[in-house]
This record gives sequence, structure tokens and C-alpha cells, in this order.
Amino acid sequence: MSTLARAEGPRRSIAELASKNAIVLVLLGLVLVIGAARPSFLNPENLVNILRISSVRAIIALGVGGILIMRGTDLSAGRTVGFAAVVAASLAQRDDYASKLFKDLPMLPLLVPVLAALGVGLLVGLLNGSVVAFLKVPPFIATLGMMVIVYGAVSLYVDRPPMGAQPLGGLREDFTNIGTGDTLTIPNLILIAALVTLVTYVILNRTRLGKNVYAIGGNPEAAVVSGVSVWRNTLLVYAFGGLLYGLAGALLAARTGGATNNYGQMYELDAIAACVIGGVSTSGGIGTVGGMITGVLIFEVLNNGLVVLGVSAYWQQIVKGIIIVAAVAIDIQKYVRKR
Amino acid sequence: MKRTVSILVALVLVLSVGVGMVAQTAPKIGVCIYKFDDTFMSYVRNTIETAAKGKAILSVQDSMYDQPRQNDQVDQFLVEGMKSLAINMVDPSAVSVLIGKAAKKKVPLVLFNREPAAADMAKYAMAYYVGAKAQESGTMEGEIVADYWKKNPSADLNKDGVLQYVMLIGDPSNTDAKYRTEFSIKAVTAAGIKVQKLAEDTAMWDRPKAQEKMAAWLTAYAGKIEVVFANNDDMALGAIEALKAAGYFKDGKYMPVVGVDATPPALDALEQGYLLGTVLNDAKRQGLATFELAYSLALGKPASTTVAPLANADGKPDPKGKYVWVPYVKVTKDNYKAFK
Amino acid sequence: MNEHSLAVEMRGISKSFPGVKALDDVSIQVRPGTVHALMGENGAGKSTLMKCLFGIYRPDQGSIEVSGKPRSFQGARQALDAGISMIHQELHPVPFRSVMENIWLGRYPTVNLGLFKLVDNRRMLRDTRALFADLAIDIDPRAWVQTLSVSKIQSMEIARAVSYDARVIIMDEPTSSLTELEVEHLFGIIRKLRSEGRAIIYISHKMEEILEIADEVTIMRDGRRVGTYPSGELTTDLIINRMVGRDLTHRFPPRENVPGEIVLSVEGLTSANSRSFRDVSFELRKGEILGLGGLVGAQRTELVESIFGLRMVKSGRIRVKGEEVRIRDSIQAKRRGFALLTEERRSTGIFPVLSVRDNTLIANIRRYVNRIGLLDRRRGNEDVQRSVELLRIKTPGNDTKIESLSGGNQQKVIFARWLLTDPDILILDEPTRGIDVGAKYEIYSIIADLAKRGKSIILISSEMPELLGMSDRVLVMCEGRATGVLDGKGATQERVMELATQFMT
Repeated sequence: MSTLARAEGPRRSIAELASKNAIVLVLLGLVLVIGAARPSFLNPENLVNILRISSVRAIIALGVGGILIMRGTDLSAGRTVGFAAVVAASLAQRDDYASKLFKDLPMLPLLVPVLAALGVGLLVGLLNGSVVAFLKVPPFIATLGMMVIVYGAVSLYVDRPPMGAQPLGGLREDFTNIGTGDTLTIPNLILIAALVTLVTYVILNRTRLGKNVYAIGGNPEAAVVSGVSVWRNTLLVYAFGGLLYGLAGALLAARTGGATNNYGQMYELDAIAACVIGGVSTSGGIGTVGGMITGVLIFEVLNNGLVVLGVSAYWQQIVKGIIIVAAVAIDIQKYVRKR
Repeated sequence: MKRTVSILVALVLVLSVGVGMVAQTAPKIGVCIYKFDDTFMSYVRNTIETAAKGKAILSVQDSMYDQPRQNDQVDQFLVEGMKSLAINMVDPSAVSVLIGKAAKKKVPLVLFNREPAAADMAKYAMAYYVGAKAQESGTMEGEIVADYWKKNPSADLNKDGVLQYVMLIGDPSNTDAKYRTEFSIKAVTAAGIKVQKLAEDTAMWDRPKAQEKMAAWLTAYAGKIEVVFANNDDMALGAIEALKAAGYFKDGKYMPVVGVDATPPALDALEQGYLLGTVLNDAKRQGLATFELAYSLALGKPASTTVAPLANADGKPDPKGKYVWVPYVKVTKDNYKAFK
Repeated sequence: MNEHSLAVEMRGISKSFPGVKALDDVSIQVRPGTVHALMGENGAGKSTLMKCLFGIYRPDQGSIEVSGKPRSFQGARQALDAGISMIHQELHPVPFRSVMENIWLGRYPTVNLGLFKLVDNRRMLRDTRALFADLAIDIDPRAWVQTLSVSKIQSMEIARAVSYDARVIIMDEPTSSLTELEVEHLFGIIRKLRSEGRAIIYISHKMEEILEIADEVTIMRDGRRVGTYPSGELTTDLIINRMVGRDLTHRFPPRENVPGEIVLSVEGLTSANSRSFRDVSFELRKGEILGLGGLVGAQRTELVESIFGLRMVKSGRIRVKGEEVRIRDSIQAKRRGFALLTEERRSTGIFPVLSVRDNTLIANIRRYVNRIGLLDRRRGNEDVQRSVELLRIKTPGNDTKIESLSGGNQQKVIFARWLLTDPDILILDEPTRGIDVGAKYEIYSIIADLAKRGKSIILISSEMPELLGMSDRVLVMCEGRATGVLDGKGATQERVMELATQFMT
């Protein structure tokens, strides 16, 4: 078997390389086409900007990606990002800001709002994981319920007297700096996203958790008879996803300098779409970190590129929808076998 | 069976906790909000709830941006015997059905914030409307910009005497968004200024989306944009964040940005010199007018409110009118403190 | 015998599933350093018993001791920790992962980095190479499992079970996809393990294998233990006799069908999938039962599913009653008078939560639509009732969910379903798999009766006696090619095996 594959290797390599990296080619193609039509798209500032916007999306996609690989799904991702953003924002308002949510809140160490956001995400993730692992509720339903619950919770959190529901603004400079500032001329957001990407890569490829996730997604029966604890890994994957949503929420609040209770709405669908574009199989067991990141970049290049090209809002939607389906159609060919 | 019963008992208990606070003689008023996560409507809702304390029993429902759901909620209100209804419609063009329902049961109907067609309003004597003239908010936004443009010749970056602008639209199917888009520019041209639209796009009232669109425009129209119009403050603030990231608001680099709503974060941005101006859609007075109207009608008294005189659809005062027009207020660096 | 010298002792194990009692008071004793074979027909309860031992099922009654210690495993993990490993009958690879990751699934070697543990890929590769070298298995540890042939995957599973260093190794049909040479290789491994004092529990249908490798044989029938015998005392006939519980001559009903003119002829049929069948030709006569024999992987199911329009064909001709046809899907197949009873009754045969009635009518539902477009319940009920009586389907009522029926009765419902379409050609893919022995006889009677009434039948069976006992002629396939047709008298077990392994090395 192996010798056979090696013998055929060189001949097949170019076609194979193209097929394996079809998604990267799609991304490059998009960049080139948009750049040709509107050269300013290729400005370094604009490309950096796309990366900056992609950062938050990528972190969410990496969280959902692991769950998808394990044959799960997470519809509550977007709302959890929103919840975390609101919690982070509420704890990072300036002292002199007139409409502070918590009037008497002292200035907290910078880490507190971030940790609070991570905590919110982790909590939601653990709840999702528990419902899926112990109550055996199908992930689609469990996280659908959680999506609704989280929205209720965030609205409850933000809608308090005397101001009532309000956008949270007046965030501290040092907090917004996380999302808008640079370190060594590289935007913080991009650095954080790169770090998260690296960590996720290591977890998925070099830890037991990661390998188990692929195994459970690829063949749950095999995992069970091999003595892999399905509940434990389920819990961990949802918790990890939740943690990333929490981080994404904090970063989103920092980047936009505020938060409202409808932040993050539908982000889960964008993230799932990005993962699927990047070759993550919704039937489990297949997907790479590189693919997820590429998927996110395709999405954001489109988002930005279509605006730069001046495409009307309605056509933007149609084009994006077509690209999602087309990208997956191209990518899935490597798994489709003739019956 | 047992389980069903216990669930029902639990439900009844939960529901009764929410209701049983106010004296039995207070009238019951049903309120629908088109969706709870709309910031402005939250202010209106809070005012209604505060104003109702001790006077009326409110049932406030979230229509979740779903007109059929709202129709069901209204049906439920009528079954429960509400004395009057205050409805913030999801889709004002679908009002005739709601008016029919209310008329059949002879329950007074106060519509607010989203304006139905006058022809529909005429179908039922006890149908009222409380709201602001959406055109007015756009007009005021435009006047703020026109004022600034005339006072600051340096705002014309390319010195062509034409104001180049970009427009962040809320939701293209929303009438407020349409009016704000249209009348803000009309007010500028009415002041004798020539304009050129560089781009417009919808950001669904959303701050992160507006930030992303603005960033793309800064790439596509680098150095050409002279003014940013936004249909609301959240989007204006998103645009400001994108501008900050592109190096604006320091070293003398400035961009006039205007929004609507005068939310607390917007007022803060005004104070800090990022936002040129915003327009207050007076949520408090709108909520107050809505409640006062619905309350007086629920008690069987003639319609009345302390906020503004009754008027007709065009805005002319008319004691027999069915409209209450709550005026907008321009908010700029000069007067923002009054609204904090 | 000293009890503590036993590797495994299971006492009085009973286990029921909805509609069927799978195990009834079964006891076995396995000594270390021996190969203990479990034999019995499909559905006799061998796999269920082993799943009870391995902690996948929890027995309703009975006790289990491993190396003298009472055990009650809550899952595979505990069984593995207690020194039991298992090769499963259904292969369990994780397709889009490497071979070595499959081998070490659930126990990856790690390096400790203080806070975190990382999987040690290099050690995993080294260990896998060493393991494969030790067992003389030639598979690249880094290959994706999806790219391996079925027999390689089976070799991988064997290596995996051995790698646990277990005292007890359960092998449930480990040779189903192996070539003769590979089987010999496996036996070498088994002998080595035995000499190291490990106990092997070996499940197989293949008599010769059992007689060659086993020290003791426990025979099971209908969820009960018939007896345990030293393999030296057994012969093929004796085993069959005890497995079946009656003489072979009475296992099959008398057949009175008379094959007539040719109704189906297949010429040079080749699959669109290059790894499947090619150049298969045969003829089927009216009122004939044509057996289709071969090992797993012979592509018999693929062949009949292609004829039925479920899979793509590259070339070849199919003629029905002399007319050339091109069948692209099951709807056209139905229209041409074909009916297909699939191999996987659970996944592609029954609709588990639907009633017996709906399961019966589903393939033919159009016929019961009345003038206003609704289903005519009365007419449907009549047909269902007639079928239930005709096929003697044992069901509490026609509204009962089919999943609560026994396997045999489920299969009869599927027969009823296809008979209502009034087919000319019935394709039966392993029609008695997982069915009790008693019910098998009834299925055979139905098949014989259909043939007598002029229906033509293609019968795929992996059970040699069934194949030989029921068929007028037997077409044998090996690795996607037809290797010969044997008629009733010429068809012996040996001849079939010879043809079934013709291209194997």
C-alpha cells in the first residue's frame, strides 16, 4: 500500500496539491480578482485591517471548529460572544463616564473584565457540554436553547435601572487599546488571534484531547470501544469553545469601544460557514486549523472586498451565499467517492 | 398527567408573581415592543414602565421582530380583557389587521414609534399614534452638518466646493432609515451646499458592522471622504472607531460624523470631540406620551397627554386629532450636558 | 480444576433486547494459554456474550470473573484496564486519521511539559513500527486508514488488540476479510500469544479454522450454550449438527419450483467504481433460485445494488425478458419488476418507529391513493392483514412499531412489503442474517414458495449451508469477478470455497 502510494507520488503531486489546497487557491484568487478591480484593496493598511477584523471571527471559528469536528455544533456561539462583550464592557467603563452601568464600580485591574468575559464564555461552554454529554440532548437543540437563554441573560444583565437597556460606552483607554493598539507595530488583535490559532493547533494536533476529538467525530463507536471517555472530551471541547467565545467577546468590545445586547448576533452562522468553507466536515472527523483560518479569511476578504468594490448591500448577500456553497462544493470533491 | 399538572401549576405561580402587585382597580394595559434588543425602544419601554407604576397593570411583550407573533400577542391581550393597547408595530403596513381586532372589541389602540398609514388610522375612531416625525431627525442631522460646513471652510478637503460624503444606512426596509438618509441630505442641499455621494451601505444599525464598512471605505476613498452620515449613533460610533484606527482625531486630523439617538456612549463621544452631533429622538417623552394616552383611554376619559398637543397627521395642532408628535432635539457640543 | 486458574469465567449470563432474548443463562470458562472458540449460527448470541464480557453491554443477570476477580465493567475502558482486549466484528476504524492514531486511540503516548501533556508522535510512530515488525504486518503507520483495503484494516485491528498486552483477547470474526495467507499469518500470531499464556476467545463461522486453531469449542444456539468440547473430539458435521440442533436434511424445506425461460440476463456488467466488480455475466430463469456466493469483499452486494439502480455502472448490458433496460434508480427498478431486500435490515430495510402497516405499504403506497388524493385506509389494512396471515408474521397488531418485533418477523414484513409490489425478480441480500433458527426455516419456506409460484430469486448468502441448500444454481464471485457457476449437484462447500478464493494470494 505504502510503496504504491509513494511510487505514484510525484506524478500526482501537482494535481493533488491543488485539490488539497483548493481553498487557499480560492482565497488567493479572490484577493487577486478584487485587487485587480480596485488596487487600493491591496494597500497594506487595508490588508492589515482585514486581518484585524478577521481576528475576532477567527477566534470564534476556532472555537466552533473543534466542536464541529466532534460531530457537535454550537448555535449559541454568537450570543455568547455578545454576552461576554457586554460583561467585559460593563466592567471596563471609565470612572468619569456619566452612564456607567455599575455606578459605584471602582477602577478594576485591566485583567478583570477580560477574565470575566472568559468566565462567562467558559460557563456557557460547560453548560452546553453538560447538556450534550450527560442529558444526551442533540447538540443542535441544546445549543439552540442556549442561544435563546444567553440572549435573555445578556438582556437581563444590561437592562437595569436607572438607565435601562442601553449601549455600553465610555470604555477605558487601556481596555480599548487591547483591540485597537499595536505591539511592535503589529496590531494586538492579530497577535492574539495568531496565539490562539497556535494554541488551538497544538491542542487539536498534539494533545490527547485533540486526537480524541477527531476520533469521536470520525467514528464514535470506535472511540467508545477503545475506552475513550466521550463525555469528558465533549465537555472539554465545548468548554474550550466557550472560552474562545469569551475571549472574542472581550476583544470585540475592545475593538468597537462598546457593546450592546445584540452584539454577536448570527456570528455563529458566519463561523460555521467559515469552518465549512475551510473544509471542516459537518458530519465530523475532518477539519484543520489552517482550513478554518482560511475559511474566515475568505469570508472577511469578501465582506471587505465587496464594499470596496461598491457592490450593493443586497448583491453582497447573494454573492456571499453563492461563494459559501461553491467553496464547499469544490472542497468536498476530495471526499466524494463514486458509489 | 401528573407532570403536566405540576408544570401548569408552576407556570401559574410564576405568572401570578409578575402580575399581582398593583391594586385590582388599576386598568390593565397591553404593551408590545417590536423587539426588546432595540436600544431606543428600551428607553421608551422603561419610561412606560416607570410611568405606569401604581397606576396601571402593564403586560409588556417582546414581539421579536415578528409581526405574526405580535398579532398573537394582541389576540391574547384582547382575550385577557385589557382596557387599552399600546403597540409598537413590527411592520406598520400590516396595521389594518390590528386595528380590526381592536375595533371589534372596542378597545382603544395607541400605536407608537412606527407610523402606520393615515388611511388605516382613519378606520377606527379610537386609534392613536405617538411618534416623532422621522423626516425631522434627518433634517436636523443635515442642519448640524450644514452648520459645521459653513463655519469650517477647511472641511472641504479638495476645495471643490462640493461636500463628499458616505452614508451608513440602518436597515433599508425601515422607513426611519429611509427618511434619515433622504432628509439629512435634503437639509444640506437646502442650505445651498452641493453634495456628492461617494458610497452608501447598510450596516443594520450595528456598531461592529459599521466599523467594518467604514474601514473598507477608507481604503476605497482614501482622503476623499469629507463627512460621515449615520442613521443612528451606534453606527456613527462604529465609524469613529474605524477612523481612529486609520489615524483620525489626532494631530489635527478630523472627520465630521453625525448620528441619531443621543445614546449615552454618543454623548460621551461628543464630549470627547469625536462625534460632531446627534439628534435626540426623545425616548422619555415618547414613552410618557404613549403611556398617558393609553392610560387616559383605558380609564374611558378623552385622550390627553402633557407632552405635546394632539395634532393631525401633518403635524398641525388639532384638539380632535389622533396624533401626538414628539419633537426631536439637536444635540451638539453646545448643549449635550443637558441630556446626560 | 482450581477456579483461580481460569482467565475468564462467565456464569449464568442473560441479556434481553426489545423483542428478543439474546442470551439465556450462558456460562463459559476460558483457561489461560488456550484458544477457546465460540461457535453458533448468526444470532446465536456469541457477539452479545463477548460484548457483555467487554463491558459494552451490561448483562441482565449473571456474574463475570476475570483471573479469579469478580468484575462488572461499566464500559470498554474498564475492560481494557482489566487486561481484556477485543477485535470487533464490525470494524471500527476512524477513517480520516492515520493508522498509528487508530492503533493507540484512547491511550496515546505523551510527553509531560509540566502544565500540559503533548502527544508524542515520534514515540507513537516508533512503537507502531515495532509492533508491526513484531507481528510481521506491512502497513505504513502514517497512512490514512481511509486509503487501506478492508483486509489491511483488519490486520490493523488485530495488531491493535494485541498491542494492549492483554491477558484475554477476544477475536470476533477476525478473518472475515482475510485471504488464506493472511489467515495463516494470524494463526501464527495466535499461537505465539497462546504460548505466552494468554487466553484467546475466537469467534468464527469457518469450521476448518476452528478445528485448526482452537483448543476448546463452546457451541451456542438461540442464545443458549449447547456445550463445550475439546476440539479434538469434534468434526465439521458434529459442529453443524450441534449448532443447528437438527439434521442438515431438515434444515431446508422441500422445493418444488421448476425453472423456466430466461427472465434476466446480465452481460459484462462493470461498476463505475474501479475497486468494485467488473465483467460479470449471468442469467436468471423464471422460477429459479440463483445463489450468489463469495467472501466478504467479493462485491456481491455492490453487484445487485447496481442492477437495482442504486450504484453507477460503467459498462455492460442488462436484459429483462429479452428487452435491454437501463435502470438508474430504485423507482425504475421497481417498475421493471425488481425487488431488493437489503443486507443491512436495520439501516436500510426497516423504518424502526413506523408501524408494521406502514412498513408493509411503504414501497407501494401509490396504489392506495384514492380519488381525492388521500390514502385508502381500508384497502391498505386488508392487504396488510392478508400479508400478515400469509407470511405468518407474529405481531401484537398491525399498528405495532416494527422495531419491537423479532428479527425474523421484521424480515417477513419486508418480504410482505416487496411482495405487494408484485415483483418478478426478488433480490435477497443475506435474508436470514440475525434471525433465529426457527424463523429461518419459515423464511426459507417463503422463498421456496415464491419460486414455486414463478418468481425468480437471486439469493446472496454467506452461510454455506443456506447457499447450497436453497439454490438451484450458485454463481460464485471473488474480488469483483464471477469465477464460476455451479449447478445444484456440482455445488459443494469445497467447490464454492475454491472459486471464492480463486484470485486471492
